[in-house]
Amino acid sequence: MVLKNLNDLKRIVEGAPRKKLILAAAQDQLSLGAVVRAWKDNIIEPILIGDKEGIQNICVSNNYDIAGLMIIHEPDTEMAVEMAVRMVSSKQADILMKGKVGSSTLLKCVLNKEWGLRTGNLLSHFALFEVETYHKVIAVTDVAMNIAPNLQDKIAIVNNSVACLNKLGYTMPKVAVLGAVEMVNENMQATLDAALLSKMNQRDQIKNCIIDGPLAFDNAVSLESAQQKGIRSEVAGDTDLLLMPDIEVGNVLYKSLVFFAKAKVASIILGALVPIVLTSRSDSEQAKFDSILLSAASSK
Amino acid sequence: MLAFKKKQRIAVAWAQDTNTIGAIHKAVNKGFVEAIMIGRSAEIINTCKDEGIDEKLFSIIDANNENKAVLEAVRLAKQGDADIVMKGLVGTEKFLKAVMDKENGLMLPDAVLSYVGALEIPAYHKLLFITDPAVIPFPDLDQKISMALYAIEMARKFGVKKPKIALIGASEKMSKNFENYVDYAIMCKMADRGQIKNCIMDGPLDLFLACDKKSIEIKGVETPVNGDADILLFPSLESCNPFYKGLMLFANGELAGLIRGTEKPVIVMSRSESEKSKYFCIALSCLMA
Repeated sequence: MVLKNLNDLKRIVEGAPRKKLILAAAQDQLSLGAVVRAWKDNIIEPILIGDKEGIQNICVSNNYDIAGLMIIHEPDTEMAVEMAVRMVSSKQADILMKGKVGSSTLLKCVLNKEWGLRTGNLLSHFALFEVETYHKVIAVTDVAMNIAPNLQDKIAIVNNSVACLNKLGYTMPKVAVLGAVEMVNENMQATLDAALLSKMNQRDQIKNCIIDGPLAFDNAVSLESAQQKGIRSEVAGDTDLLLMPDIEVGNVLYKSLVFFAKAKVASIILGALVPIVLTSRSDSEQAKFDSILLSAASSK
Repeated sequence: MLAFKKKQRIAVAWAQDTNTIGAIHKAVNKGFVEAIMIGRSAEIINTCKDEGIDEKLFSIIDANNENKAVLEAVRLAKQGDADIVMKGLVGTEKFLKAVMDKENGLMLPDAVLSYVGALEIPAYHKLLFITDPAVIPFPDLDQKISMALYAIEMARKFGVKKPKIALIGASEKMSKNFENYVDYAIMCKMADRGQIKNCIMDGPLDLFLACDKKSIEIKGVETPVNGDADILLFPSLESCNPFYKGLMLFANGELAGLIRGTEKPVIVMSRSESEKSKYFCIALSCLMA
């Protein structure tokens, strides 16, 4: 199955049991708005942890109807996050979401060795874009967590992302390893890593996907461009997942898609026990809602 | 037998040993070479007499020591009076030093000097080209690419239009801890992208997956080389050299080989090799000249 747009994610969650989502430090307007909407849409069953009064005030002034929603009062932000993480690690919830708390505080708890959400896998960021000019949604990783992934990290990032795409119904997602050029160039590490990843995929050392790279951005997403260059590739022009060489490239691509191409985006953190919705403060309520939808669709 | 366009003039350095003279004589008789024998002329003539060969078939140039003989052979090739240089009874090191000399040698500018061999093995269904059993101890990526290109060129001269080249390792699994495998993965992608042309490349592959279809079936590995390799590229001289010697000793293999990267073909063979092998080398060099 291929997702044409982010709304298609709804088809995955429809009919399935609702996932339990914990919003940690829930006194945050946009997050609450998105969570309440997702609850009303039957996508999730939320649990709010945070300053009860703050939460209620936000809901009243924004007309969010939260009658019947479970709220756990914990005014201390760090305590609220710890409680949220402990509940997830003891299987009381399926999804963790960041509210009014810094990412580093939340991730510190997630990585706690005793009661955190570690699985032994690298944590990585996974973003799913709906861009008008592409024929389906396109996933991009890693635009926010791993700064300069080495080959081993890239393997982990691909594995995280492919597992997620598999859950979204992609049995063999097409993975393009991005470079500045589609040729192998000894002076560009990204192209060398791309060659290795392709070979590991051929040898079934990276499974459940088709990897090709290096591919330049244009040949990754445009069949015409790939054909002009004479590239024979199963991936070129039909990419499901773009692997970024580093965070700078990834972040700029992400933001240019959002700002210039008016893309819709959903994003989650992968590699922990459960998907984590960790959108940035500047993300819109819609982006937060779509991210919740993505987390529910990719949750087991 | 492959057809030769014209007679090649071959300069043999330190040419007085029986096997070399015998091989050259056979090639002259077949009509595809003219020989210039350089060495102690009295000894050359004596060896010819002992072997019942008419020494007048050859041009003989007198040289009273190895070095002079080598320098003369290289000089002849350099100035266009010979098309091929062949090592006689002289040590490989001395011989290559003269060939590689920056001013007077035969190196092409910026070329990698390497060795490609063609192995005939009764147990294999076709000729197997191998590289590099003799020149580069531990080839880096650029040298491996050159080795591949030379081997592809040679296989194509033998009429294999798109040779299958297996990059040999101990396993087909990719590991970044094996530097050679990293090079192999890079080369395969270069072949994918047309940066290395006219071949079907895969590696790392072990020898079974490279040359044995049964192993492919058993292991279920998907590879375009598919147990049908034309070329084996080895990760080191130390792995390639015993491979061919083992086949010659135990499996009736015959090897013909050539140095590549030079302006003109250069024949380097172990002094102990048979007349037959030397003859094949001469024929091969004429094909590549």
